[in-house]
Amino acid sequence: MSESLIDIAAPEAGSPGSPDDQFDHRRRPGIWTALRRGKGLAGLILIGVVVALGLLAPVLAPHSATEQIPGANLVGPSGAHWFGTDEVNRDIFSRTLYGIRTDLIVVFLAVPIGAAIGILVGLISSWWTFTDVVAQRLFDLVLAFPTLILAIALTAFVGPGLRTVFFVIVAVELPVFGRLTRTSVRTVREMPYVEAAHVVGAGSLWQLRRHVLPNSMEPLLVQLAVSMSVAVFVEGAMSFLGLGVRPPQPSLGSLIRDGVRNMYDAPFFAVGPLALVVALVLGLLLVSQALAEARRA
Amino acid sequence: MGAYLLRRLPSALVVLAIASFGIFALVRMVPGDPVSTLAGPDASPEARAAIRADLGLDQPLVTQYVAWLGQLARGDFGTSYRIGGSVKDLVADGAVNTIVLTVTALLLAMAVALVCSVLAVVLDNRWVNATLSFGNTLAIALPTFVTGLVLILLFAVVFPVLPAGGTPPDGFLARPDLSVQYLLLPAVCLALGAGAALTRFLTESLRTELRQPYVTTARALGISRRRIVLTQALRNALPSAVTVLGIQFGTLLGGAVLVEAIFTWPGLGGLIEEAISGRDYPLVQVLLLLSVMVFVVIQLFTDVIHAWLDPRIRIGGAA
Amino acid sequence: MHDEPKGTDVTPPLLEVTDLGISFSHPRPAVRSVSVTVEEGEVVALVGESGSGKSMTARAVIGLLPDGAVATGSVRLRGEELLGLPEDQMIRYRGTRVAMVFQEPQTALNPVRTVGWQIGEALRAHGGVRGKAAKARAVELLREVEIPDPEERLGFYPHQLSGGQKQRVVLALALANEPDLLLADEPTTALDVTVQAEILALLRRIRDRTGTAILIITHNMGVVAHLADRVVVLRQGEVVEEASTRELFADPQHSYTRQLLDAVPRLPTPEERVHAVTVDDVPPVGTDAVAALEYDDVRVHYGSRMRGRVLPAVDGVTLRLERGQVLGLVGESGSGKTTLGRLAAGLVPLAGGTVRVGGEDLVRARGRRRADLRRRLAFVHQDPEASLDPRFSIAEAIREPLDVHGIGSRKERDARVAELLDAVRLPQSFLQRRPRELSGGQRQRVALARALTLDPQLLIADEPTSALDVSVQAEVLELFADLQRRLGFACVFISHDLAVVNKVADHVAVLRSGKVVELGPAARVFGAPSHDYTRQLLAAVPVPDPTVRDATGPALREQHIAS
Repeated sequence: MSESLIDIAAPEAGSPGSPDDQFDHRRRPGIWTALRRGKGLAGLILIGVVVALGLLAPVLAPHSATEQIPGANLVGPSGAHWFGTDEVNRDIFSRTLYGIRTDLIVVFLAVPIGAAIGILVGLISSWWTFTDVVAQRLFDLVLAFPTLILAIALTAFVGPGLRTVFFVIVAVELPVFGRLTRTSVRTVREMPYVEAAHVVGAGSLWQLRRHVLPNSMEPLLVQLAVSMSVAVFVEGAMSFLGLGVRPPQPSLGSLIRDGVRNMYDAPFFAVGPLALVVALVLGLLLVSQALAEARRA
Repeated sequence: MGAYLLRRLPSALVVLAIASFGIFALVRMVPGDPVSTLAGPDASPEARAAIRADLGLDQPLVTQYVAWLGQLARGDFGTSYRIGGSVKDLVADGAVNTIVLTVTALLLAMAVALVCSVLAVVLDNRWVNATLSFGNTLAIALPTFVTGLVLILLFAVVFPVLPAGGTPPDGFLARPDLSVQYLLLPAVCLALGAGAALTRFLTESLRTELRQPYVTTARALGISRRRIVLTQALRNALPSAVTVLGIQFGTLLGGAVLVEAIFTWPGLGGLIEEAISGRDYPLVQVLLLLSVMVFVVIQLFTDVIHAWLDPRIRIGGAA
Repeated sequence: MHDEPKGTDVTPPLLEVTDLGISFSHPRPAVRSVSVTVEEGEVVALVGESGSGKSMTARAVIGLLPDGAVATGSVRLRGEELLGLPEDQMIRYRGTRVAMVFQEPQTALNPVRTVGWQIGEALRAHGGVRGKAAKARAVELLREVEIPDPEERLGFYPHQLSGGQKQRVVLALALANEPDLLLADEPTTALDVTVQAEILALLRRIRDRTGTAILIITHNMGVVAHLADRVVVLRQGEVVEEASTRELFADPQHSYTRQLLDAVPRLPTPEERVHAVTVDDVPPVGTDAVAALEYDDVRVHYGSRMRGRVLPAVDGVTLRLERGQVLGLVGESGSGKTTLGRLAAGLVPLAGGTVRVGGEDLVRARGRRRADLRRRLAFVHQDPEASLDPRFSIAEAIREPLDVHGIGSRKERDARVAELLDAVRLPQSFLQRRPRELSGGQRQRVALARALTLDPQLLIADEPTSALDVSVQAEVLELFADLQRRLGFACVFISHDLAVVNKVADHVAVLRSGKVVELGPAARVFGAPSHDYTRQLLAAVPVPDPTVRDATGPALREQHIAS
């Protein structure tokens, strides 16, 4: 790559003795290189481990998530039960592995869906001033509302369960991405290269598709990672409050809740799920930070 | 300034009006019927009808809404269906607890953010920055219930120095030292997330300010870095910091629900949960409306302060 | 090297930079070896284009090099070594012995602090003056930089001041602690031409009054001729030539200096001006020919009616541009020239009147017809940084207009792109490159190529060379003129630089506050202007000829002191 830079420094073709045109010597490190070292890599590894554990649950788990083993009541961590058992004789390790899957659904399904809808709404609404104002007010309203109170309210209508968690995540991510997209659209639209295309006859659709969207990708990706980490947290909090997945279905949050219930009798209970939650959230956060720093460079 | 406030007021009021009606209507759409809960499964249709009429639920929706507004205006918040006290008293008790907790957490978060970010930027030392950044990420990554549980385990179970939950028995003002003990763990737990987010934002903000041309001017005049940070960069970062503070306050209120559950702190969070599950209309309405009101007011407040802090908005245009 | 006979060599020069070298992690050093001296009370100009290292040299003197810079050599101020001093010691010199002002007055001041506070801060930083005495000193400083009503202005915030006033405040800050040497990095580049003239005159007066030496960094040869006693020419981190101003302009020794001086666009010389009066004002083409562009009493508003602030950006302009002609729009900021140009491109909403391109009304056309009409238009923007989509390759960028309208097969489009790249004299190897791999001048050429893809009837160029170095600008302008002659498109050329417009335009319209103040053939308007404002503008342009300076002297624009 440096060869091509020195190449350019040489006089341009057809203009002898060309004087010093200064240009940007630094090649901005791509967003993908950021993920291959340092924070980004650490984050990816953490995420990878958790995801792998969840996906491989059927293979790795010695029992099913609901199987009750006779005689194994609140057993501590042991050879047979790595994480011990709970008060209805279920193997916590197995439940934890299957519980990861619930979180994976929330993180890798609910967030992207919310993001996609949010981006679409943001793109369309921000193009015309009137819709923009209306959309922004709505976004502000939803964003200002604390997520947990929104979750409680929604649960009151729909009842607790994984579906509710899904809805809450989508409802919260929509305005986040909507607003981010809108900022991007407004910035890119002012750019001279978009104006040049507009003058020559490019319509709004063309401008959006070929200029605005591709140039907005990076901040959206960063936000995606952040939102995913928040989603894990929201699921955890909701399940902890009893608003999330319904028993006997396991999720990391509900497992932690069960663990808290039995904290004085069996303090080991919640440690495994807790560690995994932290790992997942931390991993996602590290990735988002690495991406953000790469953009700023 | 007054003009700015007046311009923002109408939209705030409109939001409140819409929200209040929305809450009122939606609450009634929730499945589950308070009449059944109150009457019991064996009540006769006449008994049910009587209870219904008694609660005023046989009127059309709009009439009920107007009646409710009228009640609110008179300061009558209604009677709770389930718990049976006046809604006003219930809310007031819970509100005090939640407010004390939230405000303490906010102050803690602000103090920590200010100190950490200024230190980081003034010292500009690689190790300091790395440590702070790491601690920051960790604080954001740890979910509230995790830190809460860990804190309880450490300071109430393993080393029993602080109470594991509850509020000081005679109120907050009677024995301040006791109050601090009860308040410490929940406030720290709540403040952690918001404090970390604030620190990160403020540090970023200050760093951005230090890259601005006016800082180069100041440096060229021989003003020291420390002075620039404290008297100029900080002041410039203030408007947007205020806005973020407003948002964080909202997050704190939401997080309070969680913290109150973990530390059995009798505040509004637990009250909301109970009220919704018990289909306690009067209580739920007032609580939700209260939440909306608080946000709208806080948003308005932070907007106004932001505008006041920025002379470009406060005073008009160019000569 | 030309050397003026030095005075007594007993006292060391005020500033002595010896063999300065500055490098970063990039292989090419910013400064290779620069040696400059400045005597007491002298005005020395450090001239060069981007990459010459002139800014870096100044920053090295005041110790404000960016992070990661490694500096070698020596910088002595009255014999004291400054290079490599630790920050806490360097602070004591800044402001008191050496001060610096920068290019952008808009952002150089803290927006949330008053002028008085900022001056006070500069005084407080070096102890001593506080309270009432500080206030008095601040007023005195504002008077020194010729700001009217200084007591009142103390309480002003920067956004309440004009560009010129801001730069004066910046100067006041720099002079607050009476430094011996003032470093000025392109202090007037970002200002309007009349304001620039005033600030230059002010600098001269300050030097005369206080004896402060000035090291001025600039790429503008006119400024050099106007202000400097001595000139040092830099190129790629090295000193190429050094001489007194007169000698440099009269008899440049180095080829680069000659090249630089040649590249500067000029306004008509006195001889040319004599002939200008006889140039015809009547356009040669009859009225039945379809004009390339027509403005018919057009109005454009700035701000929305809903907010109650309606300011006219363009206030009743009627102009006509024939096919194949170049119309230059000149004026200062706020004149409406940019808005007028963007109006023709259909980028700005029309509040009144009609705009016709090739006889057809662009605003009234709808859908298909409008898209077809737009094929005749093209736009080149000022900013080379953002004129190309960073994600597009050069080929894709030039090809875009064809893609938008779906013209020709893929092969035909590629052929056209290659043809255009040749026309703007760039190598074919650039086709797959990204914009960030190209220099500013190269990017503007690509933008030009893109503009010509559809063989437009009308090209609107909004300050296309303002951000480029002098020599690059000369090349791009020459290229532009050549293409315009060959392809015969009409062009609206917007610029604040009158000399540039003089070089490319057939006709010129001078704008002020949204109205056309003067209109006519370029030679006539610049050679024998009939309107006062045009005369003012022309007089304010610093001529790259030091002999002219003494004739016109500091007697400029006294009535505009306040701006």
